[in-house]
Amino acid sequence: MNILEAQGIRKYYRSSAGLFFVTSPVVRAVDGVDLTLEKGKTVGLVGESGCGKSTLARVLIRLEEPTEGSIRLGGADFLALRGGELRKARRRIQMVFQDPYSSLNPRLSIGSTIAEGIRIHKLARGAEVKERVSRLLEKVGLPSSASAKYPHEFSGGQRQRIGIARALAVEPEVLIADEPVSALDVSIRAQIINLLEDLQTEMGLTYLFIAHDLGIVEHVSDVVVVMYCGKVVEQAPTGDIFREPLHPYTAGLIASVPVADPALARARAAIPGDVPSPVNLPSGCAFNPRCPRVMDICRIERPDLIQLGAGRLVRCWIHQKKA
Amino acid sequence: MDTLIDVRNLTTVFETEQGGSRVVDGVSFHVDSAEAVGLVGESGCGKSVTALSIMRLISSPGRIAGGEILFEGRNLLALSEKEMRKVRGNKISIVFQEPLTSLNPVFTCGEQVREAIALHQKVSRSESKTRAIEMLRLVRIPDPEKRYGAYPHQMSGGMRQRVMIAMALSCEPRLLIADEPTSALDVSVQGQVIELLCELQARLRMAVLLITHDLAVVAQMASRVIVMYAGSIVEEAPVRELFDATAHPYTQGLLGSIARLGQRSGPLSTIPGNVPDPFGLPPGCRFSDRCPRRFEKCSSAEPPLIDISPAHRSRCWLCGGRG
Amino acid sequence: MSPVEDDPAGARRTQRLWSQGWSRFRKNRFGMAGAGIILVLYLAAALAPMLTPYDPIAQGDVPRMRYVAPCMEHPLGTDKFGRDVLSRVIYGSRISLMIGILAVTIAILLGALVGAAAGYFGGATDAILMRIVDALLAVPRIFLLITCVALFSGSVWLIIVLLGATGWMTTARLVRAQVLSLRNLDYVKAAEALGAGGRSIIWRHVIPNTATVIIVAATLRIGGIILTEASLSFLGLGVPPPTPSWGQMVFEGREALLSAWWLSTFPGIAIAVTVIGFNLLGDALKDAFDPRQFV
Repeated sequence: MNILEAQGIRKYYRSSAGLFFVTSPVVRAVDGVDLTLEKGKTVGLVGESGCGKSTLARVLIRLEEPTEGSIRLGGADFLALRGGELRKARRRIQMVFQDPYSSLNPRLSIGSTIAEGIRIHKLARGAEVKERVSRLLEKVGLPSSASAKYPHEFSGGQRQRIGIARALAVEPEVLIADEPVSALDVSIRAQIINLLEDLQTEMGLTYLFIAHDLGIVEHVSDVVVVMYCGKVVEQAPTGDIFREPLHPYTAGLIASVPVADPALARARAAIPGDVPSPVNLPSGCAFNPRCPRVMDICRIERPDLIQLGAGRLVRCWIHQKKA
Repeated sequence: MDTLIDVRNLTTVFETEQGGSRVVDGVSFHVDSAEAVGLVGESGCGKSVTALSIMRLISSPGRIAGGEILFEGRNLLALSEKEMRKVRGNKISIVFQEPLTSLNPVFTCGEQVREAIALHQKVSRSESKTRAIEMLRLVRIPDPEKRYGAYPHQMSGGMRQRVMIAMALSCEPRLLIADEPTSALDVSVQGQVIELLCELQARLRMAVLLITHDLAVVAQMASRVIVMYAGSIVEEAPVRELFDATAHPYTQGLLGSIARLGQRSGPLSTIPGNVPDPFGLPPGCRFSDRCPRRFEKCSSAEPPLIDISPAHRSRCWLCGGRG
Repeated sequence: MSPVEDDPAGARRTQRLWSQGWSRFRKNRFGMAGAGIILVLYLAAALAPMLTPYDPIAQGDVPRMRYVAPCMEHPLGTDKFGRDVLSRVIYGSRISLMIGILAVTIAILLGALVGAAAGYFGGATDAILMRIVDALLAVPRIFLLITCVALFSGSVWLIIVLLGATGWMTTARLVRAQVLSLRNLDYVKAAEALGAGGRSIIWRHVIPNTATVIIVAATLRIGGIILTEASLSFLGLGVPPPTPSWGQMVFEGREALLSAWWLSTFPGIAIAVTVIGFNLLGDALKDAFDPRQFV
């Protein structure tokens, strides 16, 4: 069952306010992305800075309005909701943020932070609120005494647990985790990943897991979506994409992951050059200046996202010709 | 191999409201000339403060409270500030994590490299400019003559980090300290920078002290690794030996908690608990409260660094030693 | 929705953050000195009738008592009407301190309101309010004040309102910047994603995190406002005589500066000490209540 279906999502920004009617270049942060989340599964969203993955996440939980596109949440049109209706529906989809420091209000106790959602949606009253907060804290591996403390009394990993408890307090169906461990210490990352996986099994949550660390993405995801310059370039079941990446960009990303094993010598600079500036994208396929397998057509025409086998999508002329 | 820098019993203290905190607590290690050594640890372990102490860039409320830093036989801690300035950027250079804040936005990149050269070498303006362009070419900035006039904001993160490396290498230092040189960069660019550093290290025959939290980066670059925890060295070994015959439970935990590509089974192994704060250290071994293999002795006495093989030392009672 | 009331940890929270800031503040010697200065000044102002040896307004036995240099009976000398300068400086503190506090309250309330509205609503509201701020800042303040005072003949209350009404613009900018940066913080986003309404976000997440900034700005502004009042009085446009005010005393002493130096000097010192006191206090508060300090 698909719990969230996003279609043709576009989010364009003007790079600066067009004062005196000077047209400024348009940044296509997200440029026509389809995304489907299946209940109880995890989709891993991978890409480098500026690929649009965080913008997409903010559009999906409606912290930003898309320029174009549709989002269906549990079968209903999520974008059509306004005001009180929207606020009510928000509990179904929650987010865990990257920065454990800016994601908690320093002036609110942990208890009030977690209770905020419970109160907004009137999920409990009086002493029951406190009880729920304790249960949530326990669930994320913190003592219930944490409730009376303040964010500054906790480490990054503990704060991330608190952020997870806040999101879970409203009993969401979908959890978007935007780089939830990249700001954490190595020894803490695994704790949070394991916690998220345990919670998923226990509560039947659906995850959109955004990360740039391919090792973690491979570990948590059922399906991997790779974005480059605002577009999906490849999508496939996790096993397939790591075994046999179809897009040269995916292949390059996988090859450039440094391996924690000195015995394995490998090509490290697998992709030459830099991520292009979003206001000045190359013509044709956006990846063509960095692509080791570039052909003439790549510089002229944009490839489409085509299907190759079960659940495998790729946006590349190499495969489009075959298809 | 001759010893280039010999750090002996270095102690750096930060004064806080709760009293002095020994952020670096009696750290001793050496780096041979032309050797690449990795200094690994999590946030707050003292690795960056160690680097800044070597450069004598510790500012209030921190101070170097004791020890010796012998560089080419001279104790850096005994030099006057004026003498130290001749060492900094000349004999020892440092590259920081964040290439955007490390460059001055109002000067062109080329001009900043040229200035670094002019600071320590008595050469004419045109000569220093020629050398600056050479440096930009050395770090593989495409079209260096043209890029000489580019401002930092006109360059990508990867290019800025290359400019930083060019500045650091402009006086052919004997020792390059690289403090998380790739952590702020995109995955595909990280590989490029690591490869560049490896190549330059071999070509210029300089020593590199690589400071990072990422064991994978260390595996790619360093020939010897020092692991720090809570202000002290817990393990030191040649890179192969550290990965193949890991001795300290903390290092074992770090290696175990990495989500590696192609190993996707079961939960990740974790280190329980949190990264310690300097005032909450347990008695005895600093790692004892998080260690899965602790026994009575661990909480009564701190183990010394125990020799396991000629170049492999570990601060753990499990490795033998007399209490 | 009453998020503040049914928050059991609310009172404790406020207490804790304040006590933390307070304990840091107490360790700042300059800040404590500033607080001490201000405390002494307010005590002096409040207890003026008990402290002053002479009536500050009643004229003395002129010409015998005019321009008496500092001596045992008149530690700060007398002025041209034979009035005791010490008594007048002490009474003058009433005017300066009252104007300072009241005018700043007006300025800060107005500034916080405009700034918060501009920052939170953004768009056209923001553009219009900020252009008004720019326009007002472009008019020389002293010119504006002089015109108004000349038009409406001076009284203490008019001056307070005028100083407040012309002093809120920088506060508005400060608060707007704060609100803008807060709006982009993840915890505000998280509250929005939880379904919190605009009012609740402002009350729980925005205001508590700007409060200390506003208090600090207010303290630092008091010094400036006291100086402005003194300049107005010095121009003869401030508090109408014979009510003693420091600026007006400096102004009156000007004509006899060479022969009777004490007339301008002591009220001048009083102004300087007061302004320094408030600035020291403001700087110390800024350091003590900086949110980044809450470790």
